[in-house]
Amino acid sequence: MSTTRLVRNSLRAMARFKLRSGFMMLGSLIGVAALTLVLSIGKGAERKILATVRQIFGASSIVVFSGGGRLMGGPHAGASRLTLADVEDLARDLPAVEAWDPQQAMRTVVRSGDASATARVLGDSERAERVWDRGVSTGEYFDAAAVAGSARVALIGETVARELFGDEDPLGAEILIGSVRFRVIGILERFGTDVHGMDRDDEVVVPISTAMRRLMNVDTIRAAKLLVKDPSRVEETAREVKRLLRERHAIAPGQPDDFTVITSLQVQQMVGRVQRVLFLFLPLVAGISLAAGGVVAASLMLASVSERVGEIGLRRAVGARPLDIQLQFLLETAVTTLGGGLGGLVLGTAVARIVARRMGLEGIVSWQAVVLGILAAAVTGLLAGVVPARRAARLQPADALR
Amino acid sequence: MIELQGIGRTYARPTGEPVRALDGVSLRIDRGELVAIVGSSGSGKSTLMNVLGLLDRPSEGRYLLNGEDVSGLDVNRQARLRNAKIGFVFQTFHLLPRTSALENVELPLLYSDRASIKGLARRALESVGLADRIDHRPSELSGGQQQRVAIARALVNDPDLLLADEPTGNLDARSAGEVMALFADLNKAGRTIVVVTHDAGVAARCGRIARIENGRIVEEAR
Repeated sequence: MSTTRLVRNSLRAMARFKLRSGFMMLGSLIGVAALTLVLSIGKGAERKILATVRQIFGASSIVVFSGGGRLMGGPHAGASRLTLADVEDLARDLPAVEAWDPQQAMRTVVRSGDASATARVLGDSERAERVWDRGVSTGEYFDAAAVAGSARVALIGETVARELFGDEDPLGAEILIGSVRFRVIGILERFGTDVHGMDRDDEVVVPISTAMRRLMNVDTIRAAKLLVKDPSRVEETAREVKRLLRERHAIAPGQPDDFTVITSLQVQQMVGRVQRVLFLFLPLVAGISLAAGGVVAASLMLASVSERVGEIGLRRAVGARPLDIQLQFLLETAVTTLGGGLGGLVLGTAVARIVARRMGLEGIVSWQAVVLGILAAAVTGLLAGVVPARRAARLQPADALR
Repeated sequence: MIELQGIGRTYARPTGEPVRALDGVSLRIDRGELVAIVGSSGSGKSTLMNVLGLLDRPSEGRYLLNGEDVSGLDVNRQARLRNAKIGFVFQTFHLLPRTSALENVELPLLYSDRASIKGLARRALESVGLADRIDHRPSELSGGQQQRVAIARALVNDPDLLLADEPTGNLDARSAGEVMALFADLNKAGRTIVVVTHDAGVAARCGRIARIENGRIVEEAR
């Protein structure tokens, strides 16, 4: 017998029953769309977290925050005793430290002419470009002389530039930070949103000395980042930092630290925990969505097959072998699950793109989602479509026709 | 052409005694006959029809079709025999919905060994007088027309044997007359036909009548 004849006829029959074929597709469409969406967003979020962590902490670094408390906990008010001299001495006494940058920060209004914006103003040394791994896309970073001389020069992020200057070139323009006049000498490299959902392009960087004296009138710093030459010595160096700082701050044994030290290793461990949660959570959600789609597809297919037992009986009566019936249902299942799967892929990807843009994530199409989704749809189709059809095909035709 | 020897068919029931639908039926049908099998409902006539059409397996006895014992053949060889040698007409037509008359008639050809099927379905529809209805769907046809499509489907592979199970049961008197006239013509042209019916009028138009009661042939008349 001619298989192509049967295949052509089956496809035509499916085209006639658009609603039934559509419903069969719907199950795999829903499952694959949900899976694609969840895994794409999950992967995008994961990549974002890792990228941000790498940017802030790099491979081997120590960040010292003023104030006690725990990582991810709030800082303790009134404990800002970390000074420039503290960090300067640490860097001098600890040969493992190859570079460091002190940081102070405030939120304040930034103005240019009539335009104003609220931005996060950071004070950094000229070494921040290297230590925080963020330079300028146009213009120049301020140099050591600017820091030494408390120069009133500023680097602004893209969001600030847009809000204050629109399409105009901000380089060389004057801006007011608080009530102090600054000259814009550079645009910060684009960063995007960080893990906390904060727009890191809504920032202004000025020399640390200028920030401390002219803007904030403080003699302490908020934090400092130390780069360690040898990654294997980070933990040991962090212990030294703690010991020396307690000594300098004359903290008695048993009293809590008035600073917090975080190393890249600790952050990596934390990220590892987050990743484990994501790895556990995402497949769970994806599994649930797939199961939901699978149940829909399975019940529709079961209903479809039981509705068609008579048709199966007739086909057997006019000469179809059980294998011919199975081939027909296999074909129908393959077409509907693959069609539904592809539709789900398109839909899931489209929604993932939109969501990713809103959340400031990279839009990633997860190939695991594609493979897993289509595979699951195929298995569902086999179990719910082909197996019952096979059973019906093996009935005595007289029983199927009844 | 057909010889049944001591055919029995017993159905197991989940509760109670098994039912003995056929109880030692022996029957001989020669090529070119038009035979009616009559009986009340529950007499076993439909079971007999299913056995004759290889749609059901007898529990005992031998079924010789063209001299070959076919009761023990495997499902695939039986399917092949049904396809090539037997045409079916059912009381409820069993046409595929939303499918044109032409494609309904083509159905047996899908499963046939023929190298070319071109024009066969169209010719079968012409032979039952439906040349102008080939693109109509079953829902667009009258009951009599639907049954004639089913007859065209039964004939499309040029089978030796035509089996009809209450072919007029769902038709008005005029359509029933047309169907029986068609059977008479086909029989005159040499086709062997077996009609299962409880309608005495239908039976009267057949060359031979076999009456069945409680799973046994009780009377044969010409």
